[in-house]
Amino acid sequence: DSHIQYERVGADVTMKCGSMDWDAAVTWTANGTDIDESHLNGSYLILKNVDLSQSGQYSCYEGSSWHLKYQTSLRVGTPPKEPVLMCRSNNYPKGFYCSWHLPTPTYIPNTFNISVIHGTKDMVCEKDAVLKNRCHIRYLQLFSTVKYKVTLTVTNALGKNFTTLTFDEFAIVKPDPPESVVAKPVPNNPRRLEVSWQNPSSWPDPESFPLKFFLRYRPLILDQWQHVELSDGTSHTITDAYAGKEYIIQVAAKDNDIGTWSDWSVAVHATPWTEEPKHLTTEAQITETTSASTSSFMAPPTTKICDKGAVVGSGAVAVCWTAGLVVAAYSVLFI
Amino acid sequence: SPAGDSWGIFTFLCAALCNLPALPALNCSEELGAGQSIQQTYDLTRYLEHQLRTLAGTYLNYLGPPFNEPDFNPPRLARAERVPSATVDLDLWRGLTDNARLAANYRAYSRLLCYLRVLDGQVGTAELRHRLAHFCASLQGLVLSIGGVMSSLGYPLPAGPAAPPTPPGTPAAPNDFLKKMDDFWLLKELQTWLWRSAKDFNRLKKKVPPAVVTLRLEARGF
Repeated sequence: DSHIQYERVGADVTMKCGSMDWDAAVTWTANGTDIDESHLNGSYLILKNVDLSQSGQYSCYEGSSWHLKYQTSLRVGTPPKEPVLMCRSNNYPKGFYCSWHLPTPTYIPNTFNISVIHGTKDMVCEKDAVLKNRCHIRYLQLFSTVKYKVTLTVTNALGKNFTTLTFDEFAIVKPDPPESVVAKPVPNNPRRLEVSWQNPSSWPDPESFPLKFFLRYRPLILDQWQHVELSDGTSHTITDAYAGKEYIIQVAAKDNDIGTWSDWSVAVHATPWTEEPKHLTTEAQITETTSASTSSFMAPPTTKICDKGAVVGSGAVAVCWTAGLVVAAYSVLFI
Repeated sequence: SPAGDSWGIFTFLCAALCNLPALPALNCSEELGAGQSIQQTYDLTRYLEHQLRTLAGTYLNYLGPPFNEPDFNPPRLARAERVPSATVDLDLWRGLTDNARLAANYRAYSRLLCYLRVLDGQVGTAELRHRLAHFCASLQGLVLSIGGVMSSLGYPLPAGPAAPPTPPGTPAAPNDFLKKMDDFWLLKELQTWLWRSAKDFNRLKKKVPPAVVTLRLEARGF
């Protein structure tokens, strides 16, 4: 006679040896290991304040014959906390999907039940083919004034919990990030970078539902991004890049009129075109070339004085030192 | 702001000139081409949508709870159906002809404007009256702008004046709460229509080349 028993973490558990009397002589084992008699109350096994490590197979044997009288699989866990639910339309106007998870594990099996109501109508949420915690809704009508109400219930042997989301059709529109972002230098243009990308493939109808884009870029050595918003087209030429510096570039998308911006695309790196260095034969020529390339970089006003990229050589130490003195002088004033 | 009123006046003048049969059809919107009028109409819907956000916020606060609560999600009562709904079957919407698409917008905004004007006559505060009046003026501009596009494409304007505020047979709201519900749904439909129009005019932008206009001029024998 074997079954599964679910108990809460911290609970006190009493296991009976099947139909055996209280005063029968029995031996209990946990995962094959004998349990000490101190845990017994007659033929009952008492486990106080159970923890996760006590999950396992418990068996009870009759004292003399060693017949297996009872067996149970103990699973220690917790009732579910309020689940986290998210719904999003990345394929407007086809429909939307909802995705969920539990904030903390329960350590025992859980079942999820989702319901989608539109006004008075119940809608079917089709399970995702691959992901267990996702389902898809297809819009039957467009431009609806009635909100969608999605309720997710999670149940396990120790309890249940639920959460609800209510939203308008337009509020959850968020495309996937743009795809195939490519950044290339432009020959003979030391301050240009040509960026191009594609509409996310999940967006079904860019003709009727055009996307607009947001481009951000910065040289790797600086923290501040520059932004450009583009209302159409899937390419842009950056014309103010710092010569010879490697750039990081990302693009985001949004429906022209409704919803929110996508996440940023995968970042691409690119360096603007630089002239080929002339072939070197003497040391003097080497020094010439290195000083030429550093002078082509003009420090932007936002660069900190002590930024390594801005100034080269011993001059930097002197500048840092002076700045340090000024800062120190000011802080003395304010103490 | 005065910008909305002067816009309304501009489009009114354009549309008015378009509609005078005696004059040769040489006026602002036709010179610009239907393509550009569609762009202007699109821009106007975006401007109105922005204006409506402020107006709706103020108005719903005036109505008080539960109307101004973000989660307020009442069931649609039968009486609310007289406000024209933007909701439409997806394939049906895709398959609309340019004429049908424009006509649906024209009819909807004409009626919504009428209802809004009734509202304007009833509200309590001066601030609300001022905002409503300004919005109505802009909305009037939109109706005329759509009319202008239809005329420049040779489509007849939908028949009849805007529907009367209460179609015969519909009783006036029996109580204050139901009256407020009517107002709530009116604003909701207006907001949804403006979102829909942006999409309608996006589709029209792509499909209507300016060249169409000159051909129709010749056909009319001017």
